[in-house]
Amino acid sequence: MELKYYIIRRLLILIPTALGLLLMTFILLRAIPVSDLIANYVNQRASPAQRAIEKQQAIALLGIGQPLPEQFYIYIVDILHGNLGNMYSNFYSGPVIVGIEDYLPFTLELTIFTVIVSVLIAIPLGTFIGSRPNTVADSTGRVFSLIFFAMPIFWLALVLQLVFGKNIGPLGAYGLPISGQGYPSTQQVGFIVNGVSQPTHMLFIDSVLHGDFPLALVALEHLILPVLTLSMSILAGLLRFIRAGMVDTANQEYIKTARAKGVPEKMVLKKHIRKNALLPSVTVIGLLVAGLLGGVVVVEDIFKLEGLGRLSLAAVVGTVGNNIQFYGVAGTILFFGLILMLTNLIVDVVYAFLDPRIRY
Amino acid sequence: MQTTISIFKKGAVQRKRHPKVEDMIETLKLIIKNKVAMTGLVITMTYMILALLDVIYPAYLGYGPNIITSLPQLLPPGTPLGEQLPTPPTFANGWHYWFGTTVGAYPLFPAILASLRIDLGYSLVIVLTGAIVGIFVGTFSGYFGGFWDELMMRITDVFYSIPFLVMAIAFTTILSYSLLQDHVPVNGFNLVALALIIIWWPTYARLTRSITLSLKSSRFIEAAVASGSSRIRNVVTHIIPGVLSPVFVQISLDLGSIVLVFATLEFLGLGAIIQINSYTPELGNLITIGQAYLVTGDWWPIFIPGVFLLIFTVGINIFGDGMRDVLDPKMRR
Repeated sequence: MELKYYIIRRLLILIPTALGLLLMTFILLRAIPVSDLIANYVNQRASPAQRAIEKQQAIALLGIGQPLPEQFYIYIVDILHGNLGNMYSNFYSGPVIVGIEDYLPFTLELTIFTVIVSVLIAIPLGTFIGSRPNTVADSTGRVFSLIFFAMPIFWLALVLQLVFGKNIGPLGAYGLPISGQGYPSTQQVGFIVNGVSQPTHMLFIDSVLHGDFPLALVALEHLILPVLTLSMSILAGLLRFIRAGMVDTANQEYIKTARAKGVPEKMVLKKHIRKNALLPSVTVIGLLVAGLLGGVVVVEDIFKLEGLGRLSLAAVVGTVGNNIQFYGVAGTILFFGLILMLTNLIVDVVYAFLDPRIRY
Repeated sequence: MQTTISIFKKGAVQRKRHPKVEDMIETLKLIIKNKVAMTGLVITMTYMILALLDVIYPAYLGYGPNIITSLPQLLPPGTPLGEQLPTPPTFANGWHYWFGTTVGAYPLFPAILASLRIDLGYSLVIVLTGAIVGIFVGTFSGYFGGFWDELMMRITDVFYSIPFLVMAIAFTTILSYSLLQDHVPVNGFNLVALALIIIWWPTYARLTRSITLSLKSSRFIEAAVASGSSRIRNVVTHIIPGVLSPVFVQISLDLGSIVLVFATLEFLGLGAIIQINSYTPELGNLITIGQAYLVTGDWWPIFIPGVFLLIFTVGINIFGDGMRDVLDPKMRR
C-alpha cells in the first residue's frame, strides 16, 4: 500500500476516536445537573437583561427539552462552530474558545522547546551510552534515566526552584526567574496587546520576529527552568529506549558484515547502527508527549505560566469557593485530546515514511 | 543404617512431581539471583511493611489513630506555641524531629511514615481493581472478537487520546461534584481512587487483549476446543493464567506511577474539591504545604517527602524491570 493511502486510512481512523472523545466530554457534562450547567454559563455579575439573554443561549446550547441523541448532535454542531461555552475564574473569564486561543500557543511553545531540547540531548547521549554497553558511562546513564523517569515532576520543579531560583538558592540575584513568562510589567511594547504578544502569542518568537532581542533574552530566561523540568522525564524515557535500540542493533548480522568488509568504526556507528536504532524511538515520542502534556499542567501551575494547563486547572480550582467551571474542564480536555491525537497522527505518518515496511 | 538411606531414596523417587510449583521455585531463584530486582524488592517491601504496620498497630508512631490532630502537639519542651514556622532537621529533640517540622509545627518524619499507608494502600487498590477489570475485558473481548471487541478497543482508544493527568483531574472533579449533588457521602480519597480506576483499566485491557490474540491460535487452545471445552471455560482456565505474568510486571510498574499521580493530584489543589483536611498525611500534600516556605529557602518540607516518594518509585520500577527480565521466557535461560 502506498503512503498516500496509509495517511488517508489513518485520518479515517481518527474520526471514531474524535467522536468518542466528544461523547466522553458530553457524558461528563451531562453528569452535572442541568440547572448548574446553565448557572455555569451565565455571568453572574452581568446585568439582569444580559443574564436573561445568556440563559437563553445556554438553553439553546444544551438543547434542553430535546432527546439525548439530539442533544449530542447539537453539542457537536456547537463545537464545530467554536462554541465551547463560558467560564469565569480568577485566571480567565469569558468564552472558553477565546481562552484556549490565547493560551494554547504558549503551551505549544513550551512543548516544542521541550521536545527539541530533549531530542537534541538524547540522540548524542544515547549513541554514546549505547555504543559502550556495561561500562561506567552506561551504568551512570541508566541510573540517571531510571531516577528521572520515576521522579515526580512537581517535586523536580520545586527542587530546581530551590537550587537555581532567583533570590532563593545559592545563586542569589544571579539565579533564574521562577515565575511568569517575562512580559514587561512597566514599559509599553508595541506588539503586546492586552497582555498577549502578537501575532503568534509566543513571547520569545514574537520578540525575535520584531527584532526586540533584549526582551527575547528575558523570555528565554523564563523558559529555561520549565523546559528543563519537563525535558528531564522525556529525556530519561528516550535515553532508555535509544540505548536499548543501539545494543539490539549492534548484535545484528549486517553490522558484523559491515565491520567485516572494513567499514570504519565511526561509520558503522553513525550510519549502520544509529540510523536503525533511532527508528523505533520515533514511536515512543507519541507516548512521551502524552506524559508531557500532563506535566505541562503541573509546570504551568508551579511556574505561573499562562498556558492551556493553567487554564484547565483554573476551571477546576481557580475560582472563589471552588465553583467548578464545567465548560472550561470539557473544553480544555477536548483540546488536550486534539493535540495528542494530532501528535500521534504525525508520529505514525513519520514512522511509516521512515520505515517502508510499516503499513498497517 | 543402610536400610534407612534406601527407604529415604525410595520415597524420594515415588514423590509426585508438581511442574507448576517447580516453575515457581525456579522463578523465585532467578529473582533472588537478580541483584537489581532484589534491591527493588527490598525497598518496596520496607515501604509496604511500614504501611502495614500503620494498619495493624497504629500506635507504633507513639500516637494512635488520630495522628493528624495529635502530631502538632509534639512540640519539644520549651517551644513557644504561637510559633508556627518550620524548624530545620535536628537530632537533638528525639526521632520525631530528625527531618524537622513543617507548617504548624508538624513533625515531618512521623507524618511521612503515616502517609505511606494512604499512598500505598490506595495505589494498590487502584492498580489491582484496574487490572482485574482490564483482564476480564481484554481476554473476553480478545477471545470472542466481533462487535464487542471492536467497541471495547474504540473505547480504550478514547481513553488513550487524552493525557492521563488531565483526565484524572476532570474525572475527579466532575465525579465529586455530581456525587455531592446527589447527596452520596464519599470519602475524598475513595473518590480519587474511583476516578483513577475508571481511567486505568484500558491499559490492562489492551495488554491482555494483545496476548489473548496470540494465545488464541496456539495448539493447546485448539486441543481444548477439540475436547469440547466451552469458550468461557477456555478463557477462564487457559487464557487468563497465560496473561497473568505480563500483567504482574505491568502492575509493579504502575504502582509507582499511580503513587505519583495520586500525589500530583493532591499537589494541584484537588484536596479542596474532594474535601480533604489540608494536614492529611499524604506525600503530595506534605510537599504542597511545604511549598509555602519555598521563598524563604526552607528546603526540608519540600525535599524530604519528595525523596521518600522518589525512593519508592525508583524501587518499584527496578523491581518491575527485573521481574520482566525474569518472567520473559525468551530471556530466561
